[in-house]
Amino acid sequence: MITLNHYLALSALLFCIGLFGALAKRNAIAILMGIELMLNAVNINLVAFNFFLDPSRVVGQVFAIFVVVVAAAEVAVALALVINIYRRFQDSSVTDLNWMKW
Amino acid sequence: MADLHLLAVEIMVAVFGLGLLVLGLLVPRSDRRGIGYVTAAGLAGIMVITFAMRELSGVFMGGYIIDPFSNYFKLAFLVAALLTVFCSFDYIEKMGFNQGEYYALLVFATLGMMLLASSGELISLYLGLELMTITFCILAGFHLRDPKSGEAGVKYILLGAMSSAILLYGLSLVYGATGTVVIAEIGQVAAASGSTPALTLGMIFLLAGFAFKIAAVPFHMWSPDVYEGAPTPVTAYLSVASKAAAFAALIRVFFGALAELHSIWVQLFIALAVLTIILGNLVAIPQSNIKRLMAYSSISQAGYLLLGIVSYSVLGIGAVMYYCLIYVFGNMCVFMAVTAFYNNAGSDEIRDYTGLSRRSPLLAAAILFAMLSLAGIPPMAGFVAKLYLFMSVISQGYIWLALIAVLMSMVSVYYYLMVAKSMYLGAVPEGSKPLQISPGLKVAILASLLILFVLGIYPDDLTNFAMNSAVTFFMP
Amino acid sequence: MLSTNALAFWVLAAITIAAALAVVLSKNIVHSALFLILAFVGTAGIYILLHAEFLAAVQVMVYAGAVAVLIVFAVMLTRRGDIRASNLYNSSYLGAGIVALGLFIATSLMLGRMNWTAGGGSMAANNVEAIADAILGRFVIPFEVAAILLLVAIVGAIIVARGVKEDR
Repeated sequence: MITLNHYLALSALLFCIGLFGALAKRNAIAILMGIELMLNAVNINLVAFNFFLDPSRVVGQVFAIFVVVVAAAEVAVALALVINIYRRFQDSSVTDLNWMKW
Repeated sequence: MADLHLLAVEIMVAVFGLGLLVLGLLVPRSDRRGIGYVTAAGLAGIMVITFAMRELSGVFMGGYIIDPFSNYFKLAFLVAALLTVFCSFDYIEKMGFNQGEYYALLVFATLGMMLLASSGELISLYLGLELMTITFCILAGFHLRDPKSGEAGVKYILLGAMSSAILLYGLSLVYGATGTVVIAEIGQVAAASGSTPALTLGMIFLLAGFAFKIAAVPFHMWSPDVYEGAPTPVTAYLSVASKAAAFAALIRVFFGALAELHSIWVQLFIALAVLTIILGNLVAIPQSNIKRLMAYSSISQAGYLLLGIVSYSVLGIGAVMYYCLIYVFGNMCVFMAVTAFYNNAGSDEIRDYTGLSRRSPLLAAAILFAMLSLAGIPPMAGFVAKLYLFMSVISQGYIWLALIAVLMSMVSVYYYLMVAKSMYLGAVPEGSKPLQISPGLKVAILASLLILFVLGIYPDDLTNFAMNSAVTFFMP
Repeated sequence: MLSTNALAFWVLAAITIAAALAVVLSKNIVHSALFLILAFVGTAGIYILLHAEFLAAVQVMVYAGAVAVLIVFAVMLTRRGDIRASNLYNSSYLGAGIVALGLFIATSLMLGRMNWTAGGGSMAANNVEAIADAILGRFVIPFEVAAILLLVAIVGAIIVARGVKEDR
């Protein structure tokens, strides 16, 4: 029997893997990938809560759809910014940009 | 749909932003400066209408709250946006491209903040937050010829997105623990069930996420770099309005939805406030770049604002509201002067400010008095604002907290006066010319200075309005 | 014996987690990007198990489609040097690992102590209609704001990615 806790554990694990990626990587695009994993974890949470606790309304699913929309917008802007600095430095790694202290 | 009039301000702002976007495409390149004037006029108009509608209250679709609290913050955002536009004319013209889009983005960021202040439901809160953050990321990286600006944009969006994800995880847990996304209903469910592990955990994630957004220590590391790298008007707007908006949302969530857990989060906020006040002020001392100095100064201001949250009282919320507005005028005044100086001298280094009082008495006076207000020296308005915040924590018995805050305010006087010393006592650099400041910016600087003086001497009307709006958070 | 549902959950969860681990552990950023797509598809499978079919479709189209393609493009556009060592750790990876692991343990412990109370009702077989009602009804403000947000993102991305002509 798969319970809510299974889904929550899956989501927590995914979130923490994403967080590790976001904190430990040097490349801006890799950090972005970590953040996407975190957002996916959030969506699993939302949908699982919706399914197990409040199935008569679709609030969690609607929330998740909005998260997807925002994430897409965020990725587009972030990648544009990364490409912008790449043009200047020929590099997309964050730690090499020691223009300012990180 | 009869209550669409509740959304009048938001609809006006959204339509105005879209209009500016179109205008930017239609106006020939040589006349682009006019877009700035149109933006200023439009924002001023919307501000007047918002002021006229300040007593409007109601709830749209069960999840969007229009009340004096949100109207107050909307006015503060509009004031900040207007001053930012005044600040931007010359700066953006020098940058020389995409002027229409720049002003439209400023307006959309304002819309995001309004949503944050008004949302009574987590989904629109999240959308407002993201609209504000993503717009600011673009604006921070807007100076495409300046590598620092590009880097600021990348740093802001990576850390902003990460903090949003953390906040969102908290939101999802709060939704799970209570089964609803409407803030008022969350408060009711939480009051009925008491604190549960999931709700507590969600609260901690939310706290971390919000701490990122208001740049509280230890979640502040993005802000000095972003503040230094972003175009100066954007830094100004980012430092005042986005912080005020995050505080408005924070008050809605923590006082509205999570009031049941206040014994826990008050402790956490105390830790954040102490760290933020101490570190922000101490690290500001050795800074040599005025934008970085202001970044650390604004970190410490967030710490003072947290005192109002810590007190968990009507007085505290009222003090936060009052402080936010004073902070808007004070910080914008400094940044307007900094922008004017940069437009002439092309530098943000404090050592280049030497002898400024003889090159431009207005700029030097503006920086001096606005900084005195930020430091909380009477008769400036900042004094009254800080007094209310300190009183709010003292009334809850945290005298030691107020003592630390007062002590660190002294430290802030020191680094603010170091700038003043360089401006007033330093030698005028060889071969320097008097500064050229556009009349619009002069008027805006003088007006904010005047307001800082007037509100310092006659604060009653504003504080009464703030306190009265704050009462709603403690009514059952 | 495992039921089909449980089996599907374990398989999908294993795929998703393995792919996510591969994303953060891989040294080659192109591999990371491809594993990311796998993680997205695995998540979409999880959504189907939770009767969120519409969301699963959105996930495949927006995430596995648009977002992943965008990321792969950006990887290719900013490629430089040895691709086999293009996705290295920064100096604080040890601290990051400790933070992430600690957070996972703390979260699991907290949520494990939770007694969930299920609300009434059951999920409709076809909930697309309910989603449409919610988005255009109760949540119409976020919906409209999402439209503006996308517009801002498009305008901003074009401005920033296009750059300025230096000769002007």
